[in-house]
Amino acid sequence: MNLIARLKDVTEIEKLNQLSVDIVLLDTVFSVRVLNRFNFKEINKIVFHCKNFNIKTYISINKMIHEEDLKPLKLFLEKIEKIDINGIVISDLTVYALAKQLNLESKIIYQPGTMNTETYSIKYFEKHSIKGITLSREITLDEIKEILFYKTNLELSIIGHGYLDMFYSKRKLLTNYFTYKNISKKDIIDNYNYRLNEEIRKNDFYPILEDKYGTYIFRSHKLISWNEIEIIKSKITDFFIERIFMEDEEYFDSIKLYNGNMDIESFLIKYNNYDLGFYYKPTQMVKVVSNES
Amino acid sequence: MKVELLAPAGNLEKAKIALLYGADAVYVGGLRFSLRVRASNFTLEMLNELVLFAHKRNKKVYVTMNIVTHDSDLVDLDEYLINLDKIGVDAIICTSFAIIERAKLLTNLEIHLSTQFSVSNSLLADYFYNEGIKRVVLARELTLFEIKEISENTKTELEVFIHGGMCVSYSGRCTLSNYMVGRDANRGGCAHSCRWLYDLFDGQEKISSNHDFQMSSKDLEITQYIPKLIELGVSSLKIEGRMKSIHYVATVVLAYRMLIDDYYNNSLKDLNYYRTEIKKAENRLTSIGFLEGEPTISEQLYNSRSEQPTKEFIGIVKGYDSFKKLAFIEQRNYFKVGDKIEIVSPNKTFIHTTIKTLFDEEMKPIDVARHPLQKLYINMRYEVKPYDMIRRVK
Repeated sequence: MNLIARLKDVTEIEKLNQLSVDIVLLDTVFSVRVLNRFNFKEINKIVFHCKNFNIKTYISINKMIHEEDLKPLKLFLEKIEKIDINGIVISDLTVYALAKQLNLESKIIYQPGTMNTETYSIKYFEKHSIKGITLSREITLDEIKEILFYKTNLELSIIGHGYLDMFYSKRKLLTNYFTYKNISKKDIIDNYNYRLNEEIRKNDFYPILEDKYGTYIFRSHKLISWNEIEIIKSKITDFFIERIFMEDEEYFDSIKLYNGNMDIESFLIKYNNYDLGFYYKPTQMVKVVSNES
Repeated sequence: MKVELLAPAGNLEKAKIALLYGADAVYVGGLRFSLRVRASNFTLEMLNELVLFAHKRNKKVYVTMNIVTHDSDLVDLDEYLINLDKIGVDAIICTSFAIIERAKLLTNLEIHLSTQFSVSNSLLADYFYNEGIKRVVLARELTLFEIKEISENTKTELEVFIHGGMCVSYSGRCTLSNYMVGRDANRGGCAHSCRWLYDLFDGQEKISSNHDFQMSSKDLEITQYIPKLIELGVSSLKIEGRMKSIHYVATVVLAYRMLIDDYYNNSLKDLNYYRTEIKKAENRLTSIGFLEGEPTISEQLYNSRSEQPTKEFIGIVKGYDSFKKLAFIEQRNYFKVGDKIEIVSPNKTFIHTTIKTLFDEEMKPIDVARHPLQKLYINMRYEVKPYDMIRRVK
């Protein structure tokens, strides 16, 4: 199982190599929820450096693709085709359709967040010769195990650690709110300090981020998969460790946790605000008793 | 080809009313595989009855199967699809590849791709066309210019939302409800967590006051863009709201029916005429969504204001005795002798009159209709027909 870390800066590569990271994930101009959008020149440089450390590189193209994105995205993929990146992590199938035109589909990892909830997702994408799919974040461990029971050559991955997003709007919700309140704020875009608190969930704070493409809301607690990954790792190719809203030290320790260089007890003494997401919490299809307002 | 007016229906009565009031097609949810769980109650027998009703009038029935399926949801899927095909439903609206692929393999059902997939460009629309999808329901995050470009560059039929509530997130990409209350937004359990009240913090500093950070969008209402959408070659104009009342369905459908017909007949009236009709059933704050670009505060809903409809729905006609000039009606809201009323009919006629006499089911004179679903008689010199709606004029 490969450990995949998000890269914030080119100077971190050596550090990530020391932490035995297998793959780094790079934000691009077509990424949302970014740490640092790398341009093509920077990506090229990073790929070169990573090769020196035998680290593979994936790029992220995870924004929703609109008509105006098609031409620049195709130009970008044409450039990408010429360098030796190992995977293209996408959220919108449009990127697959474009990649296919350039014979790049074998590098595509489909990571829509919500859609890959069943075995049939694998069966469908097996026919389309992509590299892999990332299983959805809102399914249980039992459901993951059932999906993994299916034998496939498709590479299967999960995002198993960190603050996971749960909402993607094209609306500028923070900008609009500040306009409504007549508050002048200069630092709305790409400001990682904003959090939401729902009126009856006093202890839960949900990070909210606005960038040039829209607004994103994240879970109140970071996901941790220490026990769960032991159960499924033989059938998982890639394990993504999310980094957004996390200090560098906690992020590097998170990597150590999964590559065996830090024990879980020490980790949880040092860091808090983790939960197990949906691993043991099946969601309901119909209205259930809740604190809904 | 004339554009299709597509209406929602949460039950059989609403579906028939939508079709009678001018919808070319209705979309309904079966007992399984559909979002809006509480509005998905059509058994196969009811679907069969609805399909016969619709086809007799040269209209269509689409069945929503738009949940994002998990393995456990797929039990009996094949049998269900085969039954829908046998019944003769005109299309299924899907998100899940499992449902799409099984339908392609086992049936001749026409497949429409749900807005849950948030298709936002022509390349993806064409991708699905090549995968056997006849129609794509476009994302609600598109400008009119984007819809134009997609329409010019795809072979797929396009369906566009024109009226009703809007998700504030890209559809299909939201798990707020899943995480906050354990209800799966992509399997019909959405708790509308995006419409709750929040406080906003910048670090430790609270910026909002009294939970006034809200994400809700005003409802969509784009009467002014209907002619343009027709000219762009959009195939279907879709009204949202399977949870809405029969009066809402009848009123909104009729308003858009009149608008579309008037456009084709070169007899468009001032748009306020159609908007006034819509407001008789629902008078919420509305916006044009993304059609002119990125939504601003004008499209957001910061106060939970909800205006009352301009007219109150008080009853539905069940029959008419032309000899005795008596309308047989079913009560839906309180009214009394002396109230001024408007009766609207599927054939676009509007009768204005006053209730002069009122009788209960045993023809005993009464002054007030206060019991829900009470059967009543009203003297009516104008002929009315079953499914005509009676509104009280305020």
